[in-house]
Amino acid sequence: MHEEPYTQALLDLALREAGGRRIVAIRLGVGQFSAIVAGAVEVFFRHLSAGTPAQGARLVFETVPLELTCTACGRTSGLDGGPDAPVRPALAAALRRGCPCGGARLTITGGLGFDLLGLTVEGGDS
Amino acid sequence: MRQRRGPWEPRQAMEIIEIRKSITAANDIRADALRRRFARQGLVVLNLIASPGAGKTALLEQTIQRLGATLAIKVVEGDPYTPLDSERVTRAGAENVQINTEGGCHLDAHMVEQALVRLNLAQTDLLVIENVGNLLCPAAWDLGQDLTVVVASLTEGADKPLKYPEAFTRAQVLVINKIDLEPYLPVTVAELRANALTVNPELAVFEVSCLRGDGLDAWCRWVRERVAAKPRPGAG
Repeated sequence: MHEEPYTQALLDLALREAGGRRIVAIRLGVGQFSAIVAGAVEVFFRHLSAGTPAQGARLVFETVPLELTCTACGRTSGLDGGPDAPVRPALAAALRRGCPCGGARLTITGGLGFDLLGLTVEGGDS
Repeated sequence: MRQRRGPWEPRQAMEIIEIRKSITAANDIRADALRRRFARQGLVVLNLIASPGAGKTALLEQTIQRLGATLAIKVVEGDPYTPLDSERVTRAGAENVQINTEGGCHLDAHMVEQALVRLNLAQTDLLVIENVGNLLCPAAWDLGQDLTVVVASLTEGADKPLKYPEAFTRAQVLVINKIDLEPYLPVTVAELRANALTVNPELAVFEVSCLRGDGLDAWCRWVRERVAAKPRPGAG
């Protein structure tokens, strides 16, 4: 249910960017902590895109890792354990540990969003 | 004779377009238009988010009862179903409109736009948009608010900021509700506050009990200050 409005929004955005051309593939950046389930997006996309130039387009999901930024020194860091490690304990540990600069204040600056990265369209014009 | 092609074979040259836009880009544009409109009207707009039962509506009722005599407060109520919260806000004394999302888990800028057709914002100081009870996606959909206020009640446990970082990262204000229950719970207000500030060090935090009234004076003072600080459109 939760993915339905996101899928409609991604479809609308993709159709607008494609300018009427047939969309073959849609590249999506899914934040590691975005609460978006790729399989649910696929299901909604199949239904919502029916009859549009995006019907049958392949969805390519890329995980965007969580990024932490130190509010004191500006250094960015990720989480230990790579993109497949369970996020919550790693995030809690990283936030509590703070930045090596000694400033304990880290804030989440990446990996929360859901982005349209790019499209593959049929080159219809000229 | 037409050549037969499989669906995997391109019919014509492909073009790859780089986009890199948030999926919510269209919503963000609508929300910015709302924000400009609210600014022209000199309104302070709060987007109130929380899980179901945290006390969003209770905080609203208390705010309306305490500030309603001196501030003109209007409310947009978001719920999946029923006008129950709208009725509570009406009883508390604020003009409001109810949005029923019919199962949808958050409000978006378009829904707010539509709701405002039914709400007269002239002579209004404060508009509170009470989002659907949910800590996941309401934070991601901009409604044109000045500030996002997240309500977390102590009965939910102290770990919600770590489990739902987006809501706490995108909010500017945290209201910790139900602090009167602390003696009966295995969690403390201090733990919840510390976890929230870990995720977002910039949060302004209020500790309240909407049932008993603790902390509401400080919260209401803050609301009044926000309204006083908001630039007003030229008089006349």
